[in-house]
Amino acid sequence: MDPTTALYVAQGIHGLSYGMVLFLVASGLTLIFGMMGILNIAHASFFMLGAYFCFQVISMTGNFWVSLLVAPIAAGFLGVLCERFLLRKVHAYGHVGELLLTVGVAMVILECVKIFWGTQSLPIIIPPVLQGLLKIGGLEYPIYRLFIIVLAVVILGIMALLLYKTRLGMIVRAAVSDADMVDALGINVPVVFMLVFGVGTWLAGVGGVAVAPILTVYPGLADQIGMDAFVVVVTAGFGSLKGAFLVSIIFGMLNAYGVQFVSQLAPVLMFSFMAIVLAFKPAGFFGEIES
Amino acid sequence: MNRITKSVLWVVLLLILVFYPMLFGLYFTNIFVIFAIFALFAISFNMLLGYTGLLSFGHAMFFGTGGYATAIALERIEGLPLLPAVLIGLVAAIVLALILCPLLVRVSGVAFAMLTLAFGQLMHVLAMKLRWLTGGEDGVGGFPIPPFNIPGVVSIDMTDPIKFYYFAMAVLGISIWIVWFITKTPFGSVQVGIRDNAVRIDYLGFKVPQTKAIILIMSSGFAGIAGSIYALFQNLISADDAYHVGNSFAPIIMTVVGGVGSFFGPIIGSGILSIIDEMTSRYTERVDLVTGLILILMIMFAPGGLTSLFGVIREKWFGKKSDKTAMEGDS
Repeated sequence: MDPTTALYVAQGIHGLSYGMVLFLVASGLTLIFGMMGILNIAHASFFMLGAYFCFQVISMTGNFWVSLLVAPIAAGFLGVLCERFLLRKVHAYGHVGELLLTVGVAMVILECVKIFWGTQSLPIIIPPVLQGLLKIGGLEYPIYRLFIIVLAVVILGIMALLLYKTRLGMIVRAAVSDADMVDALGINVPVVFMLVFGVGTWLAGVGGVAVAPILTVYPGLADQIGMDAFVVVVTAGFGSLKGAFLVSIIFGMLNAYGVQFVSQLAPVLMFSFMAIVLAFKPAGFFGEIES
Repeated sequence: MNRITKSVLWVVLLLILVFYPMLFGLYFTNIFVIFAIFALFAISFNMLLGYTGLLSFGHAMFFGTGGYATAIALERIEGLPLLPAVLIGLVAAIVLALILCPLLVRVSGVAFAMLTLAFGQLMHVLAMKLRWLTGGEDGVGGFPIPPFNIPGVVSIDMTDPIKFYYFAMAVLGISIWIVWFITKTPFGSVQVGIRDNAVRIDYLGFKVPQTKAIILIMSSGFAGIAGSIYALFQNLISADDAYHVGNSFAPIIMTVVGGVGSFFGPIIGSGILSIIDEMTSRYTERVDLVTGLILILMIMFAPGGLTSLFGVIREKWFGKKSDKTAMEGDS
C-alpha cells in the first residue's frame, strides 16, 4: 500500500470517528429539540461534564471502563435534575425563556468546572488494550478511533431499536410530532420529557468520555464540539435524527480532509456547507419545522 | 408625572452625565463608558428581541464587525478623522447585516437564534484565521486615535480619557435617542405588531420579511457603533473580545435582567451587570458564575425582568395599575 492511500484512509478514519462523536452529541440535541422544542445551549456542557467525570473516575479507580459506564450516567443524572427542577418551571414562559435558561445553565456549569478542576487541560491515557495500531491488509488503523466508531454504532443501534421497535420509543416519537395529543391520550408527557432529556444528556456524556483521551479535558471542550453539534442540527433540520447522522458524517469528513488539503479554511468549510444548504432549504436538509 | 418634573429630571440626568468624571474620578468614568457602550449594544439587541420578537444569539458579530472595521480603517488609512472611522464601523456592520438578511429574515424563533449563533461563530473563526487582516488571536491594537476635529473650529485630543468620555457619551447618547425615537414612530408599532402577530401584520398589507430586514439592519448598525466606540476606547479589538459567544450572551442577559420589551430595561440591565461585575471581580475570578445564576433566577422568578418586577411591586404595595407606559419607565 502506498503512503498516499494510507494517508487518505487514516484521515477517513479520523473523520468517521469525529463524525460519530459529533452524532452522539447532536442526536441528543436534536431529540430534545424535536420533542420539547428546547434548544439546549447547555448540551455541550453536559458533553464536557462527561469528559471531566471520566477524568475524575479514572483518577479515583484507574479504570477506563468503569468511567465509560459511570461518567455518562452521572452527566445524564445532572441533566434529569436540570430538566426537573429548572426547565420544567419555566416551560410556561415559552421557548425563549427555556433557551435563555439553558444559557445560564451552560455558564454555571462552565464556571463550576473551572472551580473544581481548574483551567489547565487534564490528560487521560488511552487504556492499554486500545492503544496502538491494528494492521489489516497492509493498512494501519489506530485502535482507539475504531473503538469510538464501534462504540457509537452499538449505542446508536440500541437507541434506534428502542426508538423504532418498542412501545416507549413509539410514545417518544409520537410526542415529538405532537406532545399535546400524546398528553391527551393519558400518557405522562412530563416524565417522558424528563426521560428524553436524561437520555440526550447521557448520549452527550458518552461522547465526552469517548473524546476525552484524544482531545484531553479542558474547559474549552464545550465550545469546540458544541458549536459543531449545533451547526449539524441546524443544517440537518431541527428534530431530524436521520439528517443529523448524515450531516455529522459529512462534517467529520469535511473536517478531516479539510485539515489535510486547505488547513487554513477547514473550520469555515462547515459553515459554508451550512450556508449553502440553508440558502436552498431554510429548514435544513430534513427539516419540517418552519418556525 | 407632568411636563415640568419630566424636564427637570432630564436636566438632572444631563448634569450628572456632564459632571460624572469630576464627581467619581477616572476609574469609575472608564467603567461608566463600558456601561454606556453595552447599554447601546443591549438596546440594539432589544430592538430585535423585545420589539420584534427575534432572539439573536450572534449579536456580537455586528458589534465585533463595527469594532474591527474602525480599528482596521484607523490602522491602514493614514490621517483618517474620528467620525468617519466610527461611520466605517457602522457601515461595515450594516453591510454584514445586508449579506445575512436573505437567510435570516425567512426564519424566526429558535431557527433564527441558531442561524445567528452559527454565523456569529463563523465570524469568530474568520477573525482568528484571516491573520493578514485581523491579526489572528492578538487582534488589532495600538492603532492611532485621531483627535475629534471640526476643521477651523476645534480639535480635541481623544487620547485623554475624560475627553473621550464626553465623545463616547455624545455618540452613544444620540444613538440611544434615535432608537427611542424609532420605537415611537409608526414603524416602531409595526415592529411590535410583528412580534405579537406576524400573520395579521401581513394581512394589514405590511411586508413582514422586508420589515424584519430593515429592523435587522438598523439593529446591527447600532451594535456596530457600540463596537466601534468599544474599539476606540480600548485601543484594541481582538477576536475573543469582540466575537466570542459570551459577548453575544451579554446583551441577552442584560435585556432579560432589565426587562424584555421595555425600552429602558436593557439600560438598567447593563447598569446592574456592570455593578455586579465590579463588585464580584474584587472577590473572585468567577464572575460568570454569578451572572449565570442571576440569569437563571431572573428567568425562573421574574421572567419580565426588573422593570416588570417594579410594576408588580407598585401594583401590590401602592395599588397603582401598572400599565404598559408605566412599565416602559418613561412616565
